[in-house]
Amino acid sequence: MRCAKAVAFIFAACLALMTATLGHADEVRPQRVVSLNMCTDELLLRLADPGQIASVSWLSQDPRNANLPDEAKLHPANHGLAEEVLSYDPDLVLAGAFTTRTTVALLKRTGMRVIEVGVPRSFAETRQNIRDIARALGQQSKGEALIREMDERLEQLAAQVAGPPLKAIVLRPNGFTVGRGSLIDEILKRAGLDNLAARLEIDNYLQIPLEAVVLQKTEILILNGDSESAPSLATQALHHPIVTALAEKLRLFDMPSRLWTCAGPSIVDAVQLLIERTRAPSSERPPS
Amino acid sequence: MSADAIRAATGRSGSLPLLFGLSLLSVLMALASLVIGYARLDIVAAASDALRGTHSLPALVLLELRVPRAALGFVAGFSLGITGAAMQGLLRNPLAEPGIVGVSGGAALGAVLVFYSGLAGAFLLALPLGGIAGAILATVLLFAVAGRGAGTTTLILAGIAINSFAGALTTLALNLSPNPYAAFEIIFWLMGSLADRSLPQLWLVLPLMAIGWALLVSTAPALDGLTLGEDTAASLGFDLQKLRLKVIGGAALAVGSAVAVTGTIGFVGLVVPHLLRPYVGNRPGRLLLVSGFGGASLLLGADIVVRLLPIHPELKLGVVTALIGAPFLFSLVYRHRSER
Repeated sequence: MRCAKAVAFIFAACLALMTATLGHADEVRPQRVVSLNMCTDELLLRLADPGQIASVSWLSQDPRNANLPDEAKLHPANHGLAEEVLSYDPDLVLAGAFTTRTTVALLKRTGMRVIEVGVPRSFAETRQNIRDIARALGQQSKGEALIREMDERLEQLAAQVAGPPLKAIVLRPNGFTVGRGSLIDEILKRAGLDNLAARLEIDNYLQIPLEAVVLQKTEILILNGDSESAPSLATQALHHPIVTALAEKLRLFDMPSRLWTCAGPSIVDAVQLLIERTRAPSSERPPS
Repeated sequence: MSADAIRAATGRSGSLPLLFGLSLLSVLMALASLVIGYARLDIVAAASDALRGTHSLPALVLLELRVPRAALGFVAGFSLGITGAAMQGLLRNPLAEPGIVGVSGGAALGAVLVFYSGLAGAFLLALPLGGIAGAILATVLLFAVAGRGAGTTTLILAGIAINSFAGALTTLALNLSPNPYAAFEIIFWLMGSLADRSLPQLWLVLPLMAIGWALLVSTAPALDGLTLGEDTAASLGFDLQKLRLKVIGGAALAVGSAVAVTGTIGFVGLVVPHLLRPYVGNRPGRLLLVSGFGGASLLLGADIVVRLLPIHPELKLGVVTALIGAPFLFSLVYRHRSER
């Protein structure tokens, strides 16, 4: 009898504690969140209620870089400067692990709650990233829903990939390519592509000479250089006459970099676009 | 170009073997530049494919990447060498060099303004014309300050002023560009590179450069006359005003269009004429062509070095030429000091 009472008491206590924690979680749902990084901006816009957002970075409002420019324009923009951030009196700051370092250091010294978000190098890390930010925002259920939606779409897409992997190489501005151990490498794999640069002892990102790209005997060359942007030498190599000449020998297409710059739901769009472009039989040219 | 000019530029006896040797050397360096690259390329197979018109991958690499790189190295080096020699002859000062006195810096500014504003995409010749306009502006400014027999100090101070002003404006223009990569491209414009240049760029600048070279070679007799002093040269019938205009125009055309596609590459125009001067009997006229071929050899050599070094991303060309050239500048300054 005493035992049963004790159990009941403990159960009641646990229940009380649980409701208290849940209620507490609702209470600490931050109400003035400032994001300093284009990638945390996107997750903030997708996960938080609009009322929770105090400011996003100015990069997110440019449709050339960002996936949600219209949503981002509803909120004031910041340029990652400490003074700007302080003026919003935020209760949570989201920052990239490699950007706006001085601002982050200063904000931490003032005792502000700052979450530094790393750059995910895989789909697993991307899921964890979404989960972490959702929890910090008090929006766990939205986070889980977003992850579930991504996973369901990925499953459907995996069913569309058939046949042996096609050999592919990515050419980014300044002659960079992506090797193994990068998010883009996994995106290529999931789209049924064999990333040739992953064999070149290239870890993550590295520069590759244009002549090495040409002699790689690749079947697909993915240009990742946003043709509509302002001129720069970095993207000039992507318009080199040799790249145009290669179009006769292999399949060549542009990939908007905003789809895979940030590890968010858009990486599923990137997988989908790659599958559509590489598996479409219509535009295939016979090898000469 | 008159027969006089050609004779003054080539020399009658002594410097002809030197001219022949240096032109042979520069051609050999260009061939070496074709063979040496990042990817292993069967150069014979690539060349035969290219000649038969088969667009195989090796042939594409040879024609679209290696040939423009070697050819642009040749013509840019030639332009820098011949301009250095001409400017030194005109100003009668061994320190006059397109990089040091700010002509290259002005050209880079002009090219940057045209390229990043998108004007270069609008019409074909915009990029080299921008470089030439910048170079003319810098040269005119230099001559206005240090033209008439000014001392070395004035020349160098004017050069520093023009260089830092052009450099600052170049950096400003790149920072204002909406393209996020632009700000990182300052180093290309300040240090120069031949990486991934293309054939259309070569065809674009070659005619303008050739006009510049012709103008500079045509100044050979007047430059020789000028070694006797301005008054004597004038009494010998040389029009000094015309000479100045020719050197300004030639330097701007040659260096301006070179810088527009390769960025600023320093010291070539300093080292080469300095090394060759004793072998042409200190005749500035004869120094012109040999300095051109010498400059081509030096620049192609530097470009081979950057590709052989296991440093990635590849070193900028200006780094290598400065490593060779800066000690020369030191020795020149030192000798100048002890002469006084």
